[in-house]
Formats: sequence, structure tokens, C-alpha cells
Amino acid sequence: MTKRGLASVAPEGAPSNNAGFAGGRTTLTYADRLSMKITVQTKAGARTFDCDPNEKLLYAGLRQGLALPYECGTGTCGTCKARTVSGPLKPGWRAAPGRSYLKEDRGEFLLCQETAAGDCTVHVPGHAPAEIASLPRPAYHTGTLGAYARLTSDVVSFTLAVDPGMNFVSGQFAVCAVPGVEGGRAYSMVNDPGQTQTLEFVVKAKPGGKLSEWIFAANRDRTRMRVFGPLGRAVFRPEENKNILCIAGGSGIAGMMSILADAGGAGYFAGHRGHVFFGVRTAADVFYLDRLGAFAAACPGNLEIAVALSEGPAPEALKARHPALRFQTGFVHAVAAAAMAGKYENIVAFVAGPPPMVDGALRMLIMEARLSAKDIRYDKFG
Amino acid sequence: MAWKRVCSVDGFAANAVRKFTVDGVEVVAVNLGGDFRVIPPMCPHMEEPLGESGLYQDGVFTCTKHLWQWDLKTGAKTGVAERDIKMYRTKVEGGELLAFIDKPLEYEYVEE
Repeated sequence: MTKRGLASVAPEGAPSNNAGFAGGRTTLTYADRLSMKITVQTKAGARTFDCDPNEKLLYAGLRQGLALPYECGTGTCGTCKARTVSGPLKPGWRAAPGRSYLKEDRGEFLLCQETAAGDCTVHVPGHAPAEIASLPRPAYHTGTLGAYARLTSDVVSFTLAVDPGMNFVSGQFAVCAVPGVEGGRAYSMVNDPGQTQTLEFVVKAKPGGKLSEWIFAANRDRTRMRVFGPLGRAVFRPEENKNILCIAGGSGIAGMMSILADAGGAGYFAGHRGHVFFGVRTAADVFYLDRLGAFAAACPGNLEIAVALSEGPAPEALKARHPALRFQTGFVHAVAAAAMAGKYENIVAFVAGPPPMVDGALRMLIMEARLSAKDIRYDKFG
Repeated sequence: MAWKRVCSVDGFAANAVRKFTVDGVEVVAVNLGGDFRVIPPMCPHMEEPLGESGLYQDGVFTCTKHLWQWDLKTGAKTGVAERDIKMYRTKVEGGELLAFIDKPLEYEYVEE
């Protein structure tokens, strides 16, 4: 172990379980001042990095520039599975759905859940996708909530003023945690990307989710949140020169908003087409339509944005309020399939939303659109 | 003899991916368009059940979990996949799809 100064022991005050961050105590013991040495064995060789007390191994490695495999970063997808070779690990969230992919009797564990109680050596079987190395390196941030707004009965938006600022690419997400609230959740940034002091998020209520319940219980303006990010590789790359297809369900529209702000602001739709399909259940569940309408109106002819209501047609009044948007009835991937037939040339597709919607969209993009896997961008959360 | 009946090819749609249990061995069968492949039921990446997450189109088999893909003519990995897919020998006789199943084909998921 290496002795570290108190100032470098970060972060503190957040929950030590689920996908929350390290710490939980304000008084640090001697042991808390030690950082662990984690050696990761991969096919490419071994690398060693520091891991703070109660810090998830995945976050420690990523913030120090290691390319580790992950998708959700919060215990559900299982992509970051590794195997312990030596040294004491401390288990994190016992009920993490991603554990179903593990053979725990053979020492397998999730890098995004486990912390280290001493120096450890672990084996990581998978490869991190190469493009991760070109994306901004994630770090811990502290943010102050603001602009808390309830957009529908089960959707809230808020901003976070972050210190230090964060540099992110449109389509990326961050893991948010609140001191004293169990668990961390991954939310995609909504706003224009780049180096910024303000992050914008939109959150759909998740019954039973501790952080979700905290967010929805009251106006949370001026409270503090901890953020680890940016994460995710389902990003918009203008240099690819592709036409854009976005298929989003519910709060999955978050990252698409950032992509539209990014692309629209850069004049991308002057030379490329954009097709956006935003699915919700009913007219009472829509949000961001004014902003989506403004995106569409700013790029007439080249950016088409459709709102798909799965439970019935849109009221005329809603259509009249948003003349730049199209309204259709059906599941969003089916609406997209019908509208996109014959328009898949030079397309890159972004998909985000509830797992059944994502699965339906992927099936459509592979079987009907016949897109190559490299032209489909999504971060697996299920 | 270890040639075993998987299913009738009648009604087995082109590009369909179907699950079967053959003498207690779980397999997934894929119709490449008159030509068939029979493979183990789990993705070699993370044991995702391919009967649910496997898609076949234009010669390429995709697991939608992480978009690993294979050329199902040969089983060779393509795209981001890191391992080939294993396949049972197959033949069609008298309208029946048969696979040569001596013992279950399995992947080693813990790498040493």
C-alpha cells in the first residue's frame, strides 16, 4: 500500500454500496489514508493503478487512463466482469443484476461494484473498445443542483453546476450519487457538449430506485451531488460524415438532445440528414417538444423529428402546438421502421431507452435496416 | 451413432433462430436459407442466450447484447467479436435437420 495525503482521499460522503462512490465517513482513520495498488492483467499485458479506499475498481482505473471494458458502469450489464487473482476485494451491491453473468465460485466479480481492502491483482478477460481511448478521461466532480423542474408526472430535469468543469462528447453519460442516498445512477447529459461548467440531466422515475425516489420527493435545488464522468462510447462523431438516425424512448431522448444541439449548432444538418424518433406512451408523457420543434425548424427539410405515442393518436391540439414535429401512433421502433424504409444509406443509428425498446430497435436496425454493427451506437444498460 | 434429429425443416423460416433441446443438449438452430447451422445456446462472450438475443441476416449472426458478430457459414468471428462461434456438423435428410452431437460444445468462460 501507499500512504496518501488526506486531501487526495476522494471522494467522501457518498454511499459505499451499489454504484455510489467511495467514502461515507467524514473522519478518516489511518487505514483510509492508504491507497491500494491494483494490478490488472489483460491479454495486452499488466498495468497497475491506485485505488482509493471504498473506490470502485472500474472508476479508479478509468480515471487513471486505463481502457477497461464497461457499458453501464452501474452493475446491470455485466460487461466489466473480471476475476480475482490475489488480494482482498470488498463486495459491493450484492443484488446487482450484472452478477448473473458471473461465476462467483471461480472468483469472478464486477469491476464497477467491488472495492479493494488491500493491494490486489485481477484478470480482465475482455477488451475495452478501442474508441474509448479517444474520449475524455472521466473524473470525480461535485455539483450543485439547479433549475429543478417536473416535466411530466414521472420525469424531472435539473442542472448541475460542476466543479471542476467537465469535458464530454454528445451521447455520453455520468454516474450521479447523492451523499447519504444509497446507490448511483447513470444519466446522459442533455446539453451541448464540450468543456462546460453546467451539466443538464433528465430523469424518469424508477420505482424502488433510491436515488430516483430522492430526486422525486422534493425540489432538490441547491443540494449537492457527486458525479463520475463522462462515460460511454455511444457518441456522435461528425468526422464520420454520416446521416443520423436517433431512436429514443422516454428519458432516452437525453443523449439525443445533446447530439442535436451539437450537430445543429455546427451546421451539420446543412450537409447531412437527421431522423429522430421519440417514443412515449401517451400525450401526457411528452416533454422537450418545444426544444425538439426548434431543432427541426432550424434545419427545414434535412432534420425530421417524429413523436411516437404507443397508446393512441396525438390530440389535435398537441399537433397544432408543435407544427415542426410529426406525430405518429405505435411503438417507436415500429414507427421508425415504417418511416425509414429505403432511407438507410450512410446512416449511423443511436438508440437509447427502456431495454425492451432498445431490443426492438436493435432487431429492426440489424434485420430490416441491415446496418453494420459499427454503425449502431448504444450503451447496454440491461 | 451421434447424428440426432433437431427438428423438421418444414416451417423453419429463412433467417429464423430457434431453440431446441436434443437428447438433453440445448442448441440453437439457424436457417441460413436452405442451409442450416446448429450452435451452442450461449454467446461465447458472456453467456447471453442466443435463442433470444441472436439475429441472423445476410450471412452474419449477431448477438444483440454487445453486437458480437460471426460469419455463420464458417463460424469465424467478425466485427468486434473476440472468439469464433462453435458449430455442430449438420445435414438435412428426409425433411429433418440432423446435428452430430457427441457431447455438448461448450466455451471456456474463465480464461487462464
